[in-house]
Amino acid sequence: MPEPHKYLPLFLADAREQLEALDSELVLLEKEASGGAVWDSIFRRMHSIKGSAATLGLAEIVALAHGAEELIGRLKSQSGLPRRTDIDLLFETTAALRKRVERVAAEVERTAAENVASDRSIVERLEQATKALPLPVAVAPRHAQPLQLAPAPVDPAIPRLDVTIDLSKACAAPGARALILQRKLRSLGTLLEMEPSPTQLMQTKGGARIVALLASTRSLEEVRATFAGVHEVEAVEVRVAPALRVASPGPAAKGKNELKIPSSPPPPGKPAKAEAPEELRPEATVRVRAQALDQLLDQAAEVLHGIARLREAARKLPEAHAGIFETEVDRLRRTARELHGRVMDARLTPFSALTERLPRAVRDLSHRLGKEIDLEVQGADVELDRTVIEAVGDPLSHLVRNAVDHGIEPSAERLSKGKPARGKITLAARRERDKVLVDIQDDGRGLDPARLREKAVVLGVLTPDAAGALSEQAAYELAFLPGLSTLAEATDVSGRGIGLDAVKGAVEALGGKLTLHSVPGLGARFTLELPLSVSMANLLLVQVGGELYGLPLHRVVATTEYDLSARGGEGFEARSLAVMGQLVRAYSLAKLFGLPSLAPPGPRPFVVLEVDGVRFALSVDRFIGQEEAVLKPLFPPLDRVRGLAGTTVLGNGRPLLVLDPRGLSELAESSARLSVAKGVA
Amino acid sequence: MPRRVLIVDDALFMRNTLRDIFSSAGFAIAGEADDGVQAVNLFRELKPDLVTMDIVMPYKSGIDATREIVQHDPSAVVIMCSALGQESLVMEAIEAGATDFIVKPFRGEDVLAVVKKVLGE
Repeated sequence: MPEPHKYLPLFLADAREQLEALDSELVLLEKEASGGAVWDSIFRRMHSIKGSAATLGLAEIVALAHGAEELIGRLKSQSGLPRRTDIDLLFETTAALRKRVERVAAEVERTAAENVASDRSIVERLEQATKALPLPVAVAPRHAQPLQLAPAPVDPAIPRLDVTIDLSKACAAPGARALILQRKLRSLGTLLEMEPSPTQLMQTKGGARIVALLASTRSLEEVRATFAGVHEVEAVEVRVAPALRVASPGPAAKGKNELKIPSSPPPPGKPAKAEAPEELRPEATVRVRAQALDQLLDQAAEVLHGIARLREAARKLPEAHAGIFETEVDRLRRTARELHGRVMDARLTPFSALTERLPRAVRDLSHRLGKEIDLEVQGADVELDRTVIEAVGDPLSHLVRNAVDHGIEPSAERLSKGKPARGKITLAARRERDKVLVDIQDDGRGLDPARLREKAVVLGVLTPDAAGALSEQAAYELAFLPGLSTLAEATDVSGRGIGLDAVKGAVEALGGKLTLHSVPGLGARFTLELPLSVSMANLLLVQVGGELYGLPLHRVVATTEYDLSARGGEGFEARSLAVMGQLVRAYSLAKLFGLPSLAPPGPRPFVVLEVDGVRFALSVDRFIGQEEAVLKPLFPPLDRVRGLAGTTVLGNGRPLLVLDPRGLSELAESSARLSVAKGVA
Repeated sequence: MPRRVLIVDDALFMRNTLRDIFSSAGFAIAGEADDGVQAVNLFRELKPDLVTMDIVMPYKSGIDATREIVQHDPSAVVIMCSALGQESLVMEAIEAGATDFIVKPFRGEDVLAVVKKVLGE
């Protein structure tokens, strides 16, 4: 402050007024349990004296007011009436403050050192009194923080920029400054990494270097200028990130960005010269950037593709040379597959990567809603591929929020129903063959089938008669219809416009499944069925309407030929075939996808698939062969097409759509229903 | 035309200090508020180019006031005035939409440096 004396009269008037009000409010305090309006007012007044005094450099007043503010803050958070001794100490503090203020008025403050000792003793006693009180229970944040367990994937074509920002040493609140920088980074593109994070920088002093990885289409100069204009930013450097990272297709996750993989065991044989002391021996694990693993997986896949191309090329060799060539290529292929498998293993991430932040989030949310909820996590060490872990974060977080918000009842309601006051949410992951099942179970009110039926009728999804005819389980499944779960009470916790339909969609896009069980009054359980990884698939290649498609071989029960021309030809919508002594429904793949069938009349090839124990047959134009391929996720808008599971690239470089048998069976069923309905009409 | 600033602080002393700082730097004082409720009302009425916002205030905190102001006008420029040791509150304010912040005790030139940067001058 320039010319502090200019402001002195103002400060004095303000401080005297505040102190007077403080004394009269302190009297009231003895009769008021903490947390009331009087407490807030007292806190504010003390805080205001502190702030003004600090601006004028009146250190002794700041020290007294600060000590008192801390004690008031702590007292405010206690339940019950404050102790007499604490109130007395606060009175003593205001008296000391008043004396101090009057000395400032007499313009002796700066020279007089007397009385300082007695002030210090008050400050010390304030500190002791503060420490004597239990820490307040952390207050829930005022606004819901989205859990954001998994970042959205970022188009690999967008350039990655390395942004390095140096904060000035004078920076008084590096955490807050970093938060502003984070917001600016996000306004320029997708922020993939930021190190250290704003929370990590909180309460640190002085300068800091922040390094960020940004996916952005802006020019380097534009990005640089954005940060150069920010207060307390000393230097900015923006570079295009090295190509290795640019090519990485995987989304980078903050916090999950490093995975631990075991390093190879020490070579057997003679022991090293001298055993290093325990604390100097390197750990048996090394930290690897998650993106590096994405990169490795991609390259392992490329090697496999390359080998497949070699095999293609080998077919053109004269027979004399083809034999030895193929043997070598096969050997190479086995090694490459093993490499691919090891990379997949290294990418396995424990389920705990998703659940670590949930207890805190559940506690914060439940406090905000005035509920008491315990969260139990089981199977935190169950491992999944990190692609799955990342993709399932949002759906999982949404289901947990849902349970906190809509499932668990407030304590009073629970007690009146004879339940324990504290609600319970259990998150349990377990491995089952090639799947991981995750249950999200709550002991709340459960879903109300009557309400769901009612809503389905209101939305025009069902007629009242059809709704009434639904079985209990079918009525619960209505919750997965678009609009149904979002229609009712949109609260600021879970009602963010994401419905259960979107959650189900996200899980299914992963090749997973979402089911629901509920008992009214006793609770609900959502079960996520997840694939261990999204990875290699053995495909049966088929041709339909001039296009190639892949079908996952593990779903294929049999292939067969059947002549339908004798039974009405191509006009069939859904028929039955006898397969291995069993009648199965048969559908035309061409019809399901609205493609022309180019097969000549006569016997047609059929693929028999099995989903959830139910078999069905699909007619195709031609079988092409088998191929092992790395499944890649679908990009919009293909990800919304039912019946598609992913894409892949064949050995000859040709892209291929991979079909999803589960989606196909649903598609087939609904088209059959449609045709039945048409027939009736 | 001089930039117009709305000063929000429950301490008269701080308001006057800030008023002096801004006036002497050629800003126009659009208005002053001593609590969060008044701050939101005055912001709607006066549409200032800049708001300086205290955090701990009666009736409505500076954080809630900032949130409402930014909801009303997403382009609003709100600078938080916080005391040392209030970093978590400042961060909450930034999440609520505050543009930038200054930490008390501050000097006039500190305030003006931040203001000029956020106004892009």
